Amino acid sequence: MTDTQWLTWEVFHQTQRGAPHIHVGSVHAPDAEMALLMAKEQFARRQACVNLWLVPTHAIYASPYEDADIFEHGTDKSYREAFGYKVRDRVRAANLNDEDKQEDIPEEA
Amino acid sequence: MNQVALIDLLFRLADDELLVGHRNSEWTGVAPIIEEDIAFSSMAQDEMGHALAYYTILHERLGQAPPDQLAFLREPHEFRNAALTALPRRDWSETIVRQFLYDAAEHVRLECYAQHPFEPLAHVARKIHGEEKYHFLHARTWMTRLAQTDESRQRMQVAIGILWPHALGMFETGQSEQDAPFDEASIMEAWLALITPILVEAGYQVPSSTAIYSRYAAPTPDRIELLAAMQKVYRIDPNAEW
Repeated sequence: MTDTQWLTWEVFHQTQRGAPHIHVGSVHAPDAEMALLMAKEQFARRQACVNLWLVPTHAIYASPYEDADIFEHGTDKSYREAFGYKVRDRVRAANLNDEDKQEDIPEEA
Repeated sequence: MNQVALIDLLFRLADDELLVGHRNSEWTGVAPIIEEDIAFSSMAQDEMGHALAYYTILHERLGQAPPDQLAFLREPHEFRNAALTALPRRDWSETIVRQFLYDAAEHVRLECYAQHPFEPLAHVARKIHGEEKYHFLHARTWMTRLAQTDESRQRMQVAIGILWPHALGMFETGQSEQDAPFDEASIMEAWLALITPILVEAGYQVPSSTAIYSRYAAPTPDRIELLAAMQKVYRIDPNAEW
C-alpha cells in the first residue's frame, strides 16, 4: 500500500535570540514552508518564540537504544570534570567580585 | 474624519473579523489534517480577538454598546461586513482562497491604518499587524502549494472565480469617504498590487468580473444564517454572567 502520509519535521523552538533551540515535537508537512506554518501554531502559539528550526525527521541520524551502554560510565571519571581543578575556587571568587572579574581569572591553573 | 464616518469604518472592520472568524471556526475538528485543524482554529480565534479590539474602540471611544452586545444583540441589517466574510465554508479551496483574498486586504489595510490620525485605530493596527502577517503567509503558502497539481489548481481557480466579485466588494465606499491614502480605492489598489503577482506566478488567472457590493444592502441569507447560529446561545439569556 502506498504511504500517503506527509513527511514529518522535527521542531526546534527558541525563546530568545542567543538561547539554544530546544526540540519540542514534530509536525506533518509536505515541505519546509508548510512545516513552518504548522509548527508556529502547534508549538509557538502560547509561549514566547523568536525563531523556529524545522528539520526533516529522516535527516536526523540517531544512535540505537541497543547501544545505550556506550554512554555508561564504567569507572570513576570525576578527575576529568572541571571541578577537579584547583582553579575552580579562584574562578568562583572572581565571579563574586563583579568589578574585577576579568582581571581575577588567571589564565592558567 | 467625523464621528459618523469613524463609527462606520470600525463596524466594517469589526464585523468582517467577527464573521470570518466564526466561519473559519467551523473547520474546527474537520480540517484536512490535524496540524492544520489546530492552526486554522487558532487563526479563527485571532480574528475574533481583532473584532473585540475594534468593538472595544467603538464602545470606549465612540459611544457604542459594550462589545458582547454589539456582537450578539445587533440585528442582521445592522452589520456592515462584506458578503465575502459570511459565505459558507463549503470546500477547503474556497476557504483558502477567501483567507488569501481577505487577509491580503487586512495586511495592506493595517499597514495603512498604522498611520491613521485616529490614534486608537492606529494603535490596534500596529498591535495586530504581526498576527495578520502570519495569516497572510499561511494563506499564500497554501495558495502556492495547491497550484501544483492540475486537479487542485483547477479547484482553486473555480474558487477564485466564485469569490472574486465578493472580494472586490470588500472595498465598497463607506458612508463617508476617507481622504487618501485611507480611502477604499487606494487600499484596493495596494491589495491588487500585492496579490496579482502571487496569483500569476502560481499559475492562476485573475478574473475580470466586477464587484458585488453588500455592506449596506439588505442582509444576505448567509449573514442571517450565520448570525442566527452565532447569537443563539447569548440571546437565550443576555444577562447571564459568563
